[in-house]
Amino acid sequence: MVTVAESNLPPRSSWLAIMSKRLFDGPVNTVVTLLCIGFFAWLLYWIIDWVFLSSIWSKDDVEQCKEATGACWSVIHARHRIILFGLFPFEEHWRSTLACVVMIVTMIASCVSWFWTARRLSILWVAGFATFYVLMQGGYFGLTTITPERWGGLALTIFIFAAVSIIGMPLSVLLALGRRSKLPVIAKLVGLFIDFFRSLPLLTILFTAAVITPFVLPGWLQGDKLYRVIVGFAIFFACYQAENIRAGLQAIPPGQDEAGLTLGLSYWHRVFRIQLPQAFRNSLPAIINQFVITFKETSIVTIVGFFEILASGNAAYGTGEWTQHYIEVYAFIGFIYFIFVFSLSRYGAYLEKRLRVGHV
Amino acid sequence: MSDQQSNAQAAVTMSGVNKWFDEFHVLKDIELNVTLGEKIVICGPSGSGKSTLIRCICKLEDHQRGDITVLGKALNDDISNIDEIRREVGMVFQQFNLFPHMTVMENCTLAQMLVRKKSRKEAEEIAMNFLNKVRIPEQAMKYPGELSGGQQQRVAIARSLCMNPQIMLFDEPTSALDPEMISEVLDVMVSLAEEGMTMVCVTHEMGFARRVADRVIFMDGGEIVEQNEPETFFNKPQNERTQLFLSQILQH
Amino acid sequence: MSAVAVILIGMVINTRNALSAQSLTTGFGFLERSTGWDFSFSVIPYDISDTYTRTIIIGILNTLLLGILGIFFATLIGIVIGLVRTSKNYLFSFLGTVYVETFRNIPLILQAVFWYSIVSHLPRPRSAHSLGDVAFLSGRGLYIPWPNISIVALGLILLALAVWLFLLPTLRTRLPTMSLFRMIKRLGWIGLLGAMLAIAYVGRIPDTPLFDIPKLAGLNFKGGVRMPPELSALVIAIALYGGAYIGEVVRAGLMSVPRGQIEAGYVNGLSNFHIFTKIRLPLAVRAVLPSLTNQYVQLMKATTIGLVVGFSDFFFIISTSINQSGQTLELLAILMVGFLIINLSIAFVMNTINKRIALKGYEVKA
Repeated sequence: MVTVAESNLPPRSSWLAIMSKRLFDGPVNTVVTLLCIGFFAWLLYWIIDWVFLSSIWSKDDVEQCKEATGACWSVIHARHRIILFGLFPFEEHWRSTLACVVMIVTMIASCVSWFWTARRLSILWVAGFATFYVLMQGGYFGLTTITPERWGGLALTIFIFAAVSIIGMPLSVLLALGRRSKLPVIAKLVGLFIDFFRSLPLLTILFTAAVITPFVLPGWLQGDKLYRVIVGFAIFFACYQAENIRAGLQAIPPGQDEAGLTLGLSYWHRVFRIQLPQAFRNSLPAIINQFVITFKETSIVTIVGFFEILASGNAAYGTGEWTQHYIEVYAFIGFIYFIFVFSLSRYGAYLEKRLRVGHV
Repeated sequence: MSDQQSNAQAAVTMSGVNKWFDEFHVLKDIELNVTLGEKIVICGPSGSGKSTLIRCICKLEDHQRGDITVLGKALNDDISNIDEIRREVGMVFQQFNLFPHMTVMENCTLAQMLVRKKSRKEAEEIAMNFLNKVRIPEQAMKYPGELSGGQQQRVAIARSLCMNPQIMLFDEPTSALDPEMISEVLDVMVSLAEEGMTMVCVTHEMGFARRVADRVIFMDGGEIVEQNEPETFFNKPQNERTQLFLSQILQH
Repeated sequence: MSAVAVILIGMVINTRNALSAQSLTTGFGFLERSTGWDFSFSVIPYDISDTYTRTIIIGILNTLLLGILGIFFATLIGIVIGLVRTSKNYLFSFLGTVYVETFRNIPLILQAVFWYSIVSHLPRPRSAHSLGDVAFLSGRGLYIPWPNISIVALGLILLALAVWLFLLPTLRTRLPTMSLFRMIKRLGWIGLLGAMLAIAYVGRIPDTPLFDIPKLAGLNFKGGVRMPPELSALVIAIALYGGAYIGEVVRAGLMSVPRGQIEAGYVNGLSNFHIFTKIRLPLAVRAVLPSLTNQYVQLMKATTIGLVVGFSDFFFIISTSINQSGQTLELLAILMVGFLIINLSIAFVMNTINKRIALKGYEVKA
């Protein structure tokens, strides 16, 4: 006996039926599907073979590596310390590891919505960054001092990324607000500033920061090369992020600000309570994308002479016995980048879907 | 009548107000006096400048010539003046303009805590009081996107009332609502009027005007064409343009 | 305002002092000096005694070459990937997704260094891979045959093509009937082809065959054109990386065509192919141009990583010049102005194309 509830439901096609409709309808589609299956199977087999089956994992068998057809992961086994930590002293590697872990935890925590007020996010990042800095630099709590020249590898990459983000985000908000200012002088100046920095390659700005600014700034204003480069990078980041935030601000209906006006709210209250929350929701995908791009771009500092992960990778295989195994080293570094970048961009996509649901 | 006027306090005074949008002369020599406790309804065809007029009262639009005085303070470019005035004047928009990223309760308490400097507890009590008044206390923790148009507009009214304004401005509050939700909003406005709030409403709802207004003003082409008590206005319109407008709008 | 001016003046004075303290001169006179150093690659002939001006121009040309090649191949790859990703077949579009995620999530520098390592480990010229015996792939570069035509003639050919493409939309609107336009279009293409061949014939370098084919002579190849491994690696990296990004842009463009347009096509009985080529593709192209401009500017700026593999692009030349001559500020100014001009030119060209093909009277609300 068919109940009323059942008879109101649409007929459900089986999983097999859906698949065959999508993938196998028509001769062209079927051929394409079969080719794809074949290609993926081949690709998967080749990768698994190279990475796992025919590869060498142990540390000492350089000779075996020369004969093997698979990947020679021994090079990673032997050289991973240099790749991850650069020139950091061997005994203190635990500090570098811990610092990286702290920073990663900070990044993951930023994704939890409990933290999504300006105050909590700032406290989280400042705390995380300060912990990172103390762990790496030392000088307190009985830790030996290790100056930034010795920092390297993954830790340096993460440090640059975090520093650029912390300095760049508040700056980008200010720039975005400045460009939308009602005073035409400020709006034009900020606009020129943003357009100028956006039109230059990042490398030019980093190079200028590293090499030129010692001439231009008076002696007391100069800092270590690392900090100059970070400031330059942060300005570049802020200009791009400011445009994203500005787009988000522009998408807010003017009535929102008017409602704030009629309630008697001041400019800063309106900006921070009404405009910015909505602007961030509007342009969140672009904002997160900018972070993703920035993480990838940290690799460029290698050109201005920093020993971050790419440079340390080059150093790792550059010596003697491992020179043939550059592919494994690059694959390892690429894998590390891939994990960070892919997670971040997946998170951005997830956020985008989630925020769209509650949208007015 | 002049005795009444001199005893009653002036809420809004507009004299010789002119406004241009580029070349378009949108307000022409407006003279308007609203006393405290008065309820004014402004009607007229679209483009007649009625929305612009009340937006000028809370300085959402600037006027190029003439004087506007609100609650004894002149409306000029002095920012602190404008802020003081805006605190005492509440406005309800056609598009509701609720803050979508805050709950109903947060919408109502935000300005109280930031501008009137009330504690969260106080602000929430006041907010619940007004939410009760507009008859949606149970929606306090919901987001605007989860409410119907009529409910959103009532929240908007409550939000303005939480600031304890002396004057309430309404810019076509029911024009964006589906017909079945109009009456719930109008009911709230009527009870507000019966409590003695000074109101200036731009609306097409003539039934509301008849019931509540002390004066009905007809605007056309940027000028105030006719103003009168509702009885006289609707039954014996004097100006030809008023008669034409009324015949068009009162058909249904 | 005055505070800003004071700061700027302070900076300039400080710089002047710092530079003169190091006995470095300022001013652009150095541009006439010869460089005295060498570098790896140039599009036009050079030697070690060339002036700084010529060297800088070579750098700019190198960057332009790299950028144009990279952008060209990236666009091709991007179009393919974009089409793949909008396919209805799950597996097929997943293929595209795998490509995009792989190449987007790894920094461009890493990819460039990776390809450079591979390309420079190719065999020596003696045992180079041969492609049909006219092109050769070796560790010293890719050798391809090249027509023996003067540069001027080549330039004229490209110019004629550009002018014709530019005229087409105008003709379409100005001519009274479509059939007249189609006839003129056909004649025009034939005429253009004839003109190009004529120019090629006239501009031929005398006493040489039409194509200069590379031949093995001793340890190296003679003839043809050599694409050094640095350039090949960079082009590959930029093409693959840019292709992933452009693929996304193309996909967004195809998806942005309103569903109603496609439904109208169905209702009118158009086949899938026609709907795609006549409705979806033209509208997608128009939607995509601003994002595409952005991507091109980004890719052009990305050419600066050439420094990492030793390719003598604009940035490399400038930074080496700074090292050698010490004229830091002037060279930096030249660098910035150079990039500004390049980016503005790209934007200008793309905007012109945008205006030419824009739908008339169509208000696209962003």
